[in-house]
Amino acid sequence: MKSRWTALGLGLCMGGAALLLAACGSSSSSGSSGSGARGGTYRVEATDFGFSNNFDPTGEYTTNSWGIYRGLLIRTLVGYRMTAGVAGNQLVPDLATSAPTPTDGGLTWTFTLKPGVRYAPPVNRVITSHDIVTAFERIANPSLAAQYGFYYSTIAGMDTYASGKTKTISGITTPNNQTVVFHLTTPTPDFLYRLSLPATGPIPQEVAKCFTTPGGYGRDLVSSGPYMIQGSDKVNIASCSSIQPMAGFDPSSKLILVRNPTYNPSTDSTSMRTALPNEFAFTINTNQADIFNRIKAGLADDSLNAPPASSVATIVASNQKQLIKTGVADATKYISMNLTQPPFDDIHVRKAVNLIMDKAGLQQANGGPLFGQLATHIVPNTMYNNDPSITGYDPYPSAKSAGDLAAAQSQLRLSKYDPKQDGLCDTSACKNVFTVAVNTTQDANEVPVVQSALAKLGITLNIRELTQSASASVVSTVSKNVPLALSQGFAKDYADPSTFMVLFESSSIAPTGNINASLVGLTPAMAKQLGITIPKGDTIPSIDAQSKACGQIPTGSARTTCYVNLDKYLMENVVPWVPYLSLNQVHLISPAVTTWDYDQSSATTAFSHVAVNPAKQS
Amino acid sequence: MGRYILRRLLWTVVVVLVVTLITFVIFYVLPSGDPALRFAGKQPTAQVLAQVRTDLGLNHTVVVQYLLYLKRLVVGDRYGWPGLGFSYSSGAAIAPQLWQRAQITIQLVLGAAVLWMLIGIPVGVFSALRPRSRFDRTSLFVGLVFISTPVFWLGLLMLWLFWSTLGWLPGTGYVAFTIDPIQWAGHMLMPWITLSLAFAAVYARIVRSNMLDTLGEDYIRTARAKGLSEWRIVTRHALRASLVPIVTLLAVDIATLIGGTVIVETIFNLQGLGSWVLNGALNQDLPVTLAVTLVATIAVSILSLVADILYAYLDPRVRPG
Repeated sequence: MKSRWTALGLGLCMGGAALLLAACGSSSSSGSSGSGARGGTYRVEATDFGFSNNFDPTGEYTTNSWGIYRGLLIRTLVGYRMTAGVAGNQLVPDLATSAPTPTDGGLTWTFTLKPGVRYAPPVNRVITSHDIVTAFERIANPSLAAQYGFYYSTIAGMDTYASGKTKTISGITTPNNQTVVFHLTTPTPDFLYRLSLPATGPIPQEVAKCFTTPGGYGRDLVSSGPYMIQGSDKVNIASCSSIQPMAGFDPSSKLILVRNPTYNPSTDSTSMRTALPNEFAFTINTNQADIFNRIKAGLADDSLNAPPASSVATIVASNQKQLIKTGVADATKYISMNLTQPPFDDIHVRKAVNLIMDKAGLQQANGGPLFGQLATHIVPNTMYNNDPSITGYDPYPSAKSAGDLAAAQSQLRLSKYDPKQDGLCDTSACKNVFTVAVNTTQDANEVPVVQSALAKLGITLNIRELTQSASASVVSTVSKNVPLALSQGFAKDYADPSTFMVLFESSSIAPTGNINASLVGLTPAMAKQLGITIPKGDTIPSIDAQSKACGQIPTGSARTTCYVNLDKYLMENVVPWVPYLSLNQVHLISPAVTTWDYDQSSATTAFSHVAVNPAKQS
Repeated sequence: MGRYILRRLLWTVVVVLVVTLITFVIFYVLPSGDPALRFAGKQPTAQVLAQVRTDLGLNHTVVVQYLLYLKRLVVGDRYGWPGLGFSYSSGAAIAPQLWQRAQITIQLVLGAAVLWMLIGIPVGVFSALRPRSRFDRTSLFVGLVFISTPVFWLGLLMLWLFWSTLGWLPGTGYVAFTIDPIQWAGHMLMPWITLSLAFAAVYARIVRSNMLDTLGEDYIRTARAKGLSEWRIVTRHALRASLVPIVTLLAVDIATLIGGTVIVETIFNLQGLGSWVLNGALNQDLPVTLAVTLVATIAVSILSLVADILYAYLDPRVRPG
């Protein structure tokens, strides 16, 4: 995932993408629109870039940066068409001539690079298989803190290279300049998806060797795509000491991209990149409301931020509703319950919380249906290609999705926390339950909805509202023993349900940076090591075996079915979350935008497919 | 006077030490968690986390971190002098950004200060000369409106009126004076007005009150008895005495605003110190927070000293022995 929620304000951090869903509201449009001409500048504003690694692709782990990389700057062996819906999640060859099928029982993947693909200035030379190796050496280098390097530990020799025991990665070989071969330690059916992530794109050793700390290369990123950072051609790479930051990138104010003169469209596909604008200007504007006023006035064309719900409502009600664009973010928003903390150590309480929750109220707090559809299970339906076995699934239904008090009380009576059998949580464990919330506008709006719902079951909350980053930090620290965490979110890294299921694997539990906030799969030994306790008599359920089994099935319907069943198992037999929204990405574009599409793979504007009419720009 | 100034400057060093120490403590005591987690990815291994902490300088104890911070501040770091480190968020050196942003904030604050003085002092004087007149009552009412009006609302209102509706002024953003002086003034005008109106109202009330007190003094009555013109009495005698407290107030207000113009900077997209420190605090970017705190602390100390010196100049009774 890219996790983190830092993103959903600025555009979800992390991952993924897919789906096209329907339900983005009748008053706006989703998917592609228009037919544009070449030329002009596509102007994008944001309150903050929010980069997680200073735009260095080795560690950069945010949705917006992935959208910019894929569409404009970095070509990977395989990629996406960068369009909306299921088609936008399907892999297609990019730098490679084809997307191979593995040999050796799924352990060997061989790629042939397209001839004649060149780096942008100042490097200019042809990209070779050795540049792919350089990217993986950077991923494996611990001092560069690759933020999703865990996806590649399946490659033989990555770990020994990382520890310094070897000088090369034994599992990546280059028989010639055009061929790169990956040897895995275990079959990894979703390996192609992992190779679509931007950190795996080619990196020229002659430049990258000069940047040995996290984020350093971001100021001098050498493009392999249709655009490059302005000033790339002025950088002197004769020696490390002569390399100065490219003029077009200042992390605190701007990222200006211009055409890459060495880009050869014949090595690319217009279904992936039409590359119509002459320039992209990403700039910081600290006034979020002003960004959208400027877009409406034609002074800017798009934003990395989602427009406020109030602005969207006004526009939708006007004759400009065609300027609102949406795309399914392949992200779930949820309440996390800690299985080691009373009263949520009792599955009946967790089920009762699911039954009583006013999901419609939470949806409204987030801006209404345009901003997300009601979620009834863990993984967004689009990640299952809208498989009919899951699309109508709702294990905790209620009228108008406003909560079912009678059903919740019936469930609560089965728990140890209702000794009076009155349908209310009677014990002290239910009073002033420590709860972490987030203080952004939408998230703060959710707090009274949750408080009101849980009060009906006798559960009162001691709310601690924190910033997004502070909330993530506290919730991901196991020793904090957070029983309930509101406004949590997770988005895919790529279109495979496994990227969600990792949240419930015991191997994901860590003292800090823990993503398994519910502690599913925690064993007594692990608890002891972490310095926490499992309530007496409780056994924490595990899905490790099921998750591993699903992960070994080749991509396709059987794999989907396996994950669908695991999703249902989680919702009915583990119940770690109250999922309530499958989020959308909402964009406001200017009247000057003549072509716009949604990049399902990155959950951003498809920058490779936009166009503007300069005559309409102010 | 020289020894007095030296003593005050030394005291400024003590204040800076105390304030930076408090900022350090707050950063670690508040439940903000581990900043390294923000840059270590979804499933950070212990090795990656340790590396990020090392890169951010968080691998030492808080005490050692603070001492290293002080050392670099004095002797410089790899980015030059003073050693303020690099932003956790952007990876860029703090010092050049600080200088660049401080220039914008200083232009905003000084421009606004000139404006509120130009409005506040004349209004206060004329109100005092005609107490309870229609002008006095009107200025009181308008002043209360400005004081009561939230700055963010006033800023948004001005943008809506003068940029979006009338189109008289350019919208948000900043253009350097050296690039285009007209555009510079156009972009700064609304922020100056927004920031200054509440201060102008306060200063008008203070000047009015001081003037009324001064005009009732015996020496004013004596001046009138000697036949001096009312203009001369007001400008040469009453106003000078009335402005003495204003000097102190002005210095403190300017110093406070150096690190505190968060709202105006955010609304008008002026990328100065205020909006920077806000983002720093929200994103656990300790070096940014510390740098702006440092500048604000020094500004308060130095401008307080300047105010005291000016005070002594204007009122010989308070000159240090």
